[in-house]
Amino acid sequence: MIPGKYRSVSGRAANNVNCGLHLVIQPSSLPEKNKVEFKLNRDTPSFPGRLLQHDLERNYSSRQGIIRDGRVISPSPRNKSSCISSTTNLTELCGLEMKTTTSSLSAFGDSSIQTPSKSRIRQGCHSAGPNISGDHINLVNSSMPSFPILQHSSEEKSLYSDRLTLERQKLTVCPIIDGEEHLRLLNFQHNFITRIQNISNLQRLIFLDLYDNQIEEISGLSTLRSLRVLLLGKNRIKKISNLENLINLDVLDLHGNQITKIENVNHLCDLRVLNLARNLLSHVDNLTGLDSLTELNLRHNQIAFVRDVDHLPSLQRLFLSFNNISSFDSVSCLADSTSLSDITFDGNPIAQESWYKHTVLQNMTQLRQLDMRRITEEERRMASVVAKKEEEKKRESQKQSLLKEKKRLTINNVARHWDLQQRVANNATNQDRKDSASPPQDPCQTEGSTISPFPEDTGAVDSGLTSALQSLSVIDTHLVEVDGDTLSLYGSGALESLDRNWSVQTAGMITTVSFTFIEFDEIVQVLPKLKIKLPNSLHLKFKETNLAMLQQFNALAQLRRIDQLTVDPQGNPVVNFTLWKYYVLFRLSHFSMQKINGTEVTQNDMIMAERLFGILAHVASSELPQYHLISILGDARKKQFRYLLETKGKKPGIVNEENNDSKRLVGENTNRATLNYTTREFYNEKLEDIKEKKKFCKMYIEDLVKEATEINMKNEALQKLWPQMFIELVRDAVIETRNKNSYMKLCLQQITDQK
Amino acid sequence: MLSPERLAQPDYEYLAQRHVLTYMEDAVYQLLENREDISQYGIARFFMDYFNSVCQGTHILFREFSFIQATPHNRASFLRAFWRCFRTVGKNGDLLTMREYHCLLQLLCPDFPLELTQKAARIVLMDDAMDCLMSFSDFLFAFQIQFYYSEFLDSVAAIYQDLLSGKNPNTVIVPTSSSGQYRQRPALGEAGVPEGVEASLFYQCLENLCDRHKYSCPPLALVKEILNGVQRLTFYGFLGTLSKHPGINQALGALPDKADLMQDPAMDEELERLLAQVPGLVPAVTATPELGCPPSRTPPRVGSPWRPLHHPRKVDTESDGSTEETDESET
Repeated sequence: MIPGKYRSVSGRAANNVNCGLHLVIQPSSLPEKNKVEFKLNRDTPSFPGRLLQHDLERNYSSRQGIIRDGRVISPSPRNKSSCISSTTNLTELCGLEMKTTTSSLSAFGDSSIQTPSKSRIRQGCHSAGPNISGDHINLVNSSMPSFPILQHSSEEKSLYSDRLTLERQKLTVCPIIDGEEHLRLLNFQHNFITRIQNISNLQRLIFLDLYDNQIEEISGLSTLRSLRVLLLGKNRIKKISNLENLINLDVLDLHGNQITKIENVNHLCDLRVLNLARNLLSHVDNLTGLDSLTELNLRHNQIAFVRDVDHLPSLQRLFLSFNNISSFDSVSCLADSTSLSDITFDGNPIAQESWYKHTVLQNMTQLRQLDMRRITEEERRMASVVAKKEEEKKRESQKQSLLKEKKRLTINNVARHWDLQQRVANNATNQDRKDSASPPQDPCQTEGSTISPFPEDTGAVDSGLTSALQSLSVIDTHLVEVDGDTLSLYGSGALESLDRNWSVQTAGMITTVSFTFIEFDEIVQVLPKLKIKLPNSLHLKFKETNLAMLQQFNALAQLRRIDQLTVDPQGNPVVNFTLWKYYVLFRLSHFSMQKINGTEVTQNDMIMAERLFGILAHVASSELPQYHLISILGDARKKQFRYLLETKGKKPGIVNEENNDSKRLVGENTNRATLNYTTREFYNEKLEDIKEKKKFCKMYIEDLVKEATEINMKNEALQKLWPQMFIELVRDAVIETRNKNSYMKLCLQQITDQK
Repeated sequence: MLSPERLAQPDYEYLAQRHVLTYMEDAVYQLLENREDISQYGIARFFMDYFNSVCQGTHILFREFSFIQATPHNRASFLRAFWRCFRTVGKNGDLLTMREYHCLLQLLCPDFPLELTQKAARIVLMDDAMDCLMSFSDFLFAFQIQFYYSEFLDSVAAIYQDLLSGKNPNTVIVPTSSSGQYRQRPALGEAGVPEGVEASLFYQCLENLCDRHKYSCPPLALVKEILNGVQRLTFYGFLGTLSKHPGINQALGALPDKADLMQDPAMDEELERLLAQVPGLVPAVTATPELGCPPSRTPPRVGSPWRPLHHPRKVDTESDGSTEETDESET
């Protein structure tokens, strides 16, 4: 009863006159004129705008007569039958007996709104021009607020007593419909109605079309218990509400609104078609109770996931086109629906995926149509094949990631071991140097780690060729990995992998060998194997290997070739030395290395290295006594050395005829070969050995020297005695020959005796 | 043989004291080690080779530590070898850490104990900041003292310790162990008493020690000279001065004077020759192994400035070299 409201309403109505509707509200009490006359748009031409939208939505509803977001239902009875054919219950609307009701207006609409005056409304049928105005529709000009009152002409009433179409009438409010209690079909399409009201008296109403209005809230429908079709498309509704009493609802069209959530529909057990296209839904759920729902249209929302669809026993068609579904998991409940035969996903991220089609087909075997296309047997077969492949791939990748995880764990484990070992070794060195030579190697110390020992199979080495990354074996205390041209070894146990049979191809491919968490001394022991098994390894990497001394690099000289050397500062104290690089260059100069720790080796580096250590090499090669040289070079080099000795003896000219290459090699080697490295363990052994031998030598020398000194003493004693002895001898001789005659006689006597 | 001392004691002791036994033992050991190879070129030649190398001081190269420290001559030879081999490092101006010097030492003697290097570094650095960088000459001279007079210094440390704690050091004759004893020094020094010990008292003790000491000691006159200069001194102060004293270095005879430390013309010449080969690809290199080797073996022997240590018979060394050459050509 607000005067202002009325005024504005009537004012708007007045403004709209030009546009084809003229309402004349007359404060008249004449019984004949107390009717609102209206004409049904029997031959309403299809509205281009509506059809356009319909076409845009493009679906097969026209074929099947299903209501989509585009409106198909036309108010004209002729069209209706064809359009709502699928909703068979509706067809009976067509056969509704037309009755004209001229009932009192007092029972109109919201009882709270009293209309003091009655108006006569006449609708312009085909061309609602201003000229029509004034003839049949009268606006009641009153100072009191009021609604337009609608009256039929009796002739029309008799013809279409059960339907009323007020299409494109620029209505801003629902008019009071008087005396039309038997009305079954009411059409307010394309008006400006903001609120549903004044129709609560139409309790027989079956079909209510409010398409394209400005309704913001569903209301005023609580009395319309027989309503079966409610069309509220293209309005401004934000919330599904106030449908509690519409238990017979068959079709509910809410497309083109601003609904964000599906709610308050669970009681609609007879609802067969629900259209929520072009809303603001972010997800689908709360669908329980919709036991008759056969079609659910959810196109053009922002749906990311769908739930509860498996609780719709009759659902056959579900339209999810143009939403935000990106994974099958978010719509997985669809797979559980047994009734679903037709589904669309086009315009979703999911539909872009390569796996989309076969995943859907694989999971929803009951489907007959997908994205408007019939599913063929062939497609199904394909889908199952692809799905199987997909499954395998997935398993493979799972395995890969499992392996990766295992690798990570193993490396962690190895690192832990290493740390432990280092600590123990350090303690041992502090207490007793010898103990450090044998650090504890107890693989059982892993605190129940999750890694299960991976079966060691030697065959895997070959198959490792195909995949870029394949772990050869994972055992919780060490790890061996071939990744392309890189062989990575973690933990000292990994060195055993060099004992295995490597295929020529695999071994040939490996150019980089990386050692991590392995004592350098242990690596030294496998270097000869490395040389044989992996002849192409050019790049060595050391990390956490306890490289602490320059002399350790000597061990690398025995390899065939090294182009690059990378010594990670982590766990290799030697890298902190200013000289280490030059020493490497010097000692391994016969490899003419290209890179050290990723830095190119320059000519200057080479010269510097030679400048720093050249004398050492010279001293080592030229000043070392030969006997020691031999013992240092060891058996392998002895031959070469002997060869060198032999050639050295000959004239240079003759030597020239010999194979120059091998000689240069020998020369290169012997220059520096004396700088070699024996691991601490071996060296200790050697020292023990030396001790033994020295002990023996000491005893031997002691004996010798004692003997010699004794002899010397005797000799000296003899020397002392000898002069006296000589004197005695001479004295005896002199005494004997003193008497010449008697001595002569004696001599003669002796001669005759002899004869 | 003709030394008059020889007559004063039994032969065996005389030989042992002169370390002749050490070398004989080692020679036999070497013979034992490489008997097959040596038998090929003659035992007489081997002994000639061996004792020659002992004379030249090259016998200690790449030997085990127990042998290197066995005789004063070996120690001096090792010092000299170290200087010769790594003079270039010092010449390059690099300052190195104790550990790096230790690595260099280990290049020549794989089992060289870290403890000795540490002690030498302590002489240079005067405190426990062991990661500091040292110049080559500082380290070398400190190392010389520490290595050559190792046992003597241990005894001195013990005496110093006793003096600090107020004991009469004369009762202590030979310390059993060395390391760890003077670690407590800072704690004692902090006790408000002026740091160190009285120089004169210290000298008396050292004099006493040198009389008894069977290992080599620095010349007492020089020690006296050092100690006369100061009132009080600390252990490391003493060692520092000792290491820097040119007289001690001369007496030891292994290294040249500090001023000449970087000079070694013979070796520099050799190095230049080696550097010429570095590019490694110049055609001249192919000829050098044959042509370069025989001369490279002779010059260091002839030109080696080793004589200060071995005054006797410059001629002998040279003739030795020449006979060797002829021998070689005969084989």
